[in-house]
Amino acid sequence: MKSRILVLSIILALLLASSSGVANPGGKGDNNRDFTCGGSCHGDPSLSSVSSADIQIDTVSTAFSGTATEISISISGMELSENNLVGIFLLGSKNGNDDNPEDHGWQIIQDPNGGTSNYVEMVSANDNPITASWVLLAPIDAGTKEIFASIHHGSIYNPNNKAFIGETDGLIVNIEPVPENYPRLKEGWVSPDERISGDSSPIIVRTVNTDSLSVLWRLSGESQSHQASVEIIQDQEWEVSLPATLGDTRIEYQIIASKGEFNNQIPWLSMGTSDPYFDGTSLGAKLQSLSFTLIILGFMLSLQAWFSPRGAKKLADNTNEVEEKFSDESSDYWSRLIPSDDNPGWLWDPIEKEWVADPNNLPGGKQ
Amino acid sequence: MYAITFHHMVVGLAAGAGTLMGLCALLAWLSRYISNLESSQSTLDKASYAASILTLVAIPLAMFSGYYSVSDPAGSAILYNKFIFSGIAMGFTASYIAGRVRFGPDLWTHRALGNLQMLSALFGLTAIMILGSIGSKITLGESTLDILPFWPEFMNSIVINQWISLFLLILGISSLLFSFRIMKSIKPISDLD
Repeated sequence: MKSRILVLSIILALLLASSSGVANPGGKGDNNRDFTCGGSCHGDPSLSSVSSADIQIDTVSTAFSGTATEISISISGMELSENNLVGIFLLGSKNGNDDNPEDHGWQIIQDPNGGTSNYVEMVSANDNPITASWVLLAPIDAGTKEIFASIHHGSIYNPNNKAFIGETDGLIVNIEPVPENYPRLKEGWVSPDERISGDSSPIIVRTVNTDSLSVLWRLSGESQSHQASVEIIQDQEWEVSLPATLGDTRIEYQIIASKGEFNNQIPWLSMGTSDPYFDGTSLGAKLQSLSFTLIILGFMLSLQAWFSPRGAKKLADNTNEVEEKFSDESSDYWSRLIPSDDNPGWLWDPIEKEWVADPNNLPGGKQ
Repeated sequence: MYAITFHHMVVGLAAGAGTLMGLCALLAWLSRYISNLESSQSTLDKASYAASILTLVAIPLAMFSGYYSVSDPAGSAILYNKFIFSGIAMGFTASYIAGRVRFGPDLWTHRALGNLQMLSALFGLTAIMILGSIGSKITLGESTLDILPFWPEFMNSIVINQWISLFLLILGISSLLFSFRIMKSIKPISDLD
């Protein structure tokens, strides 16, 4: 009986634990993920529901193999949870495994958040539409490829803690063989996702079949673009100087690779700004903190000594000792005096050899 | 897990005690100039003294619990600043207690020492306010002191090389020993004419 209760308790505890872990309200972070996380989290229909969002996926219908291609996903009309977070998947299939576009020959140069993941999380202010753009190198193998988009999110009115899932049908992209001598980015080159604040060191771009390279840059949110300085450092390797950025600024840049009649305009890439490298250590912090404490304490104590009053120490009150001394001397003095019947009122001092008036019997009968 | 909870509790104690220390010290100092406060000087002095002792106990506990509340306690400038300002707060609070112990409750009657004591308490309180503001920046991303136009940038910190920090530590110990030596001859104000 006891073992049954124990087993039932364990099952109940597991069931309760699973219900509290249905979703990740704070998101799971950008990463490479399969459709519905490979069926592990939101694939179960009892844990998910259909999103009301309208999802549009947009790209060119034909791309040359190995060339940069932009794929945009626009999402609108969704009802989000309080944190307005949406998880967006760019997929090569919807099997639940090997769904990353990179499993289908694509190479992600940059995701919407500056990284190289097929799943990103974005925040929609006031449920406004979101547009997320990936820049990918098209597969080397010619043929047709399908691209899918999927989203998941929470909702304010969500008593059962379900995840809301939206998905698109496949968008077919024709991959054609790249024309001979077509200028393009070298396979394997990835755009840097961020630079350290204030760093103006150039970025290195590697290309194929490129005679000249020009780069335009603009700050994120600005429409006017500027020409960047480009220098060739060796064959098909270019050094691009972009201005340093500070704070949360993102800088966007567009590479245009040219050779003869071909002019390959690569989609805009972006680069964030990271905090400067911090070289503090725990030991250094403790030492610095303690040294500041002691220096301040030493300085303030010195000031206290400097400002301390210079008055003399109070004189000791020796009244009692003096009175006692005088009292002792006085008793010795009076005890040696000899009264005289011949001279009433007077006492004879044998040491000083003189008459002294008796204070208890003053001469003439005075008291 | 418990370090975070304990840190929140101790930080509250340090902030409350530090505020009491600063405000009571300021009022005790003002009692020299405002006759209405004169009768409360002794009470304010005692309250400030007790609060300063609690502050000096609470700050190291806050540092200790804060150290175990984050994965990398000195991994960023903002956390590094917490160490530095904790040291500054402890330095001024300890100076306040040392002055009070050395000169006694009558120090407020001495103009220069009263000024110095009040400044020690206020600087200690300011350092604690900055500490609280840094903590708020870390947990909430903002601070009420952000409204000040001249507020320092917490995202940057002055990192001193460990050897220079060690040198400063030795310098601090030396200056402290020297200060204690010259303070031996100093008596409480009540013993002076």
